[in-house]
Amino acid sequence: MNKPSLRTPVLAAASTLALGLTLAGCGGGGESASSDRPENEVHVLVYGDASNDVETAMVDRFNETSDVKVVLDTIPGADYQQKLQTVMSTDAAPDIFFNWGGGSISNFVDADLLMPLDDFIEEDPQLKDAFLPSVFDVATVDGTPYGIPMRGTQPVMLFNNKEVLASVGITESPKTWDDLLAAVDKLKAAGKTPIALGGGDEWPTQMWFSYVYDRVAGPELFQTALDGDTSVWDSEESREALGKLRDLVDSGAFGTNFQSVKFTDGGSPALLAGGQAGFELMGSWEYSTIRDTNPDFVATNLGWSTFPEIEGGKGDAANLVGNTNNYYSVLKDTRYPDTVRDFLKLMYSDEFVEAQMATGNLPTTTSTEQFLDQATNPEYARYQFELVQDAPNFQLSWDQAYPPAATPTIHSAVADFFAGSIDEDGFISAMQSLKK
Amino acid sequence: MTTLLPPRPPAASDHPAKGHPVRPGRARLNRPGVAWTLPATVFFLLFAVIPLIAVVVLSFMTWTGLGDPKFVGMENWQELAGDPVMLKSLWLSLLFIVLGVATQTPVSILLGVWAAGPQRNRAVLSAIFFLPLLLSSAAISVLWRALLDPNFGVPAQFRWLFGDGNLFGHQPTAIGVIIFVGMWQFTPFHTLIYQGAAKSVPPVLYQAAEVDGAGRARQFFSITLPQLRNSIITSVILMVVGGLTTFETVLILTNGGPGTDTTITAFYMFEEAFRRYNFGMGSAIAVVLVVVATAISLVMVKLSGYDKMRSTMEGV
Repeated sequence: MNKPSLRTPVLAAASTLALGLTLAGCGGGGESASSDRPENEVHVLVYGDASNDVETAMVDRFNETSDVKVVLDTIPGADYQQKLQTVMSTDAAPDIFFNWGGGSISNFVDADLLMPLDDFIEEDPQLKDAFLPSVFDVATVDGTPYGIPMRGTQPVMLFNNKEVLASVGITESPKTWDDLLAAVDKLKAAGKTPIALGGGDEWPTQMWFSYVYDRVAGPELFQTALDGDTSVWDSEESREALGKLRDLVDSGAFGTNFQSVKFTDGGSPALLAGGQAGFELMGSWEYSTIRDTNPDFVATNLGWSTFPEIEGGKGDAANLVGNTNNYYSVLKDTRYPDTVRDFLKLMYSDEFVEAQMATGNLPTTTSTEQFLDQATNPEYARYQFELVQDAPNFQLSWDQAYPPAATPTIHSAVADFFAGSIDEDGFISAMQSLKK
Repeated sequence: MTTLLPPRPPAASDHPAKGHPVRPGRARLNRPGVAWTLPATVFFLLFAVIPLIAVVVLSFMTWTGLGDPKFVGMENWQELAGDPVMLKSLWLSLLFIVLGVATQTPVSILLGVWAAGPQRNRAVLSAIFFLPLLLSSAAISVLWRALLDPNFGVPAQFRWLFGDGNLFGHQPTAIGVIIFVGMWQFTPFHTLIYQGAAKSVPPVLYQAAEVDGAGRARQFFSITLPQLRNSIITSVILMVVGGLTTFETVLILTNGGPGTDTTITAFYMFEEAFRRYNFGMGSAIAVVLVVVATAISLVMVKLSGYDKMRSTMEGV
């Protein structure tokens, strides 16, 4: 090489140093965020999808009377959580943002980025009292509320194909675990896949764990584990729940190729709608998902029920599992807390409830009941609302209850257990390795 | 670094006369000044060297993307050393590379040599054959995922071949699908390399061989294949690099599953950094990937004699 090239390492070192200093400068700038935040603007960040219509309408309505304008920002699709994590500690952080409560905000609480909503609620008790308690409590971290419910609730239910069930002589949805096992046997004998399962996505498999654990051991087991006492995963109840799941998988309830089926590409709902399967355990969005592709089936043959009771189990048969709701949380450094509070008040307004019902969402305010008849399918809306209202416990999906770091471990563990590549001990040690 | 630069044909002016050491920058030297490399150097520093240093530094820190990174010394490295998934992912990455090379190379050599022939229909067929490369990996993966759906895709039509169609549910078949999709996508590219190389083999060699009574097979093994030597090395290096960085195919087709059975190192890095928000650990995995990739390419360059760049035109 030529002589001038000797300077290159020096140059590299100098520019690295310069860049390092610049980065250090950026880090320091975040401390005094409130003064850097935009003037006369409050940014609201939401997950981009069909529900944005309601949010846009709410923002427009609010801006008619407010001097400080609310700006709605959306991030489409599955990247939401990643991108949120990236912007939260920068000056571009949103004042108000969409989340799932539970573990999805615990990182932000630990990093001292969120505003406790106690003061808002003290000034306006409706910010708490206007919502169903089982839903409101999910965005509470260590006794402090950090979120206001802002969309619809999504309990997981056992959906069925009425026609398929009738064809094998089943007239009623299974009320107990034994009913379910009997139904599985009948469907299998008729050459059907008894239960459709999108095992390729892994989170639908997790729903089976959440419910069976809830019914066998009650919600306390998971809560204890989440609070840090991982020994409960090795309890007798835990092993009993795993034994029930093992029996169900081994009985062929899900067929043999469920690991190659996905919910997200329409595979498992198509099995149910097409009459190849009898049941599918899925969130309440199953209704609108299938309506998009098979409106006739939804109108005539889609049935739904709660998850069956397990005899001798500790859990209340009325307990629910799923996504309780989505929440708006508030950035501690927000420049206009009063504007934020006023905006949050819209979340229990009648206009909000009506607009959500019109898009098929089921809001979780106590006033929702009055508007149930305006829903796309009042019967379905009422059924769900009563489930949520009456549920002694509404367990947030395991992967949302834990911080995001736990998700890959939980998903692998449930998939491996269903596939038979790990046994009870393998599952227990995977769950014990999770950190809060 | 120098070994990766393309060879420069020796020019008369490059050989300084004996006893007269030439200083760079002299006007009488008929070659471009060092200043011309400045833009490339700056870009290389900015987008390769500095990020690499940053990744190494970050591998000694813990950072969730919130607040400031904290220095934790060797913690990430110790954890990684005892992590069974990391070791598994490295084995899987190597397996992917070996399988990728083993499936794509023979097919693309044969297709490339065939496509180098003179007839017109070959040009048309080659053009059609080239199409998969024009699609994005993500689109291709979504397409094959749908085609291989056990209940509504190809396996449902051919039960005698696919059984219950649980291709994504077992490790061997899941790996097989990823290798197959990679082959479907990238064989055309390597075919193109071999087509170009085969076209540049001097026809006089074949004419001489024919005079000597060599058949087509003999011509292929004694002339074509040796003449393709450097192209084979180029193509294999590209496959190895591609294999190490395979990501979107795995993400979309199997999501690293079943369980962690197709979690290759690049995917594991993504999972640690962007799903667990464990950027320190993700960086440590990235450093391992860099080291492994460098080691593999150095070994390949040494073993293949690529650094000496022996001409294939010897004896012509």
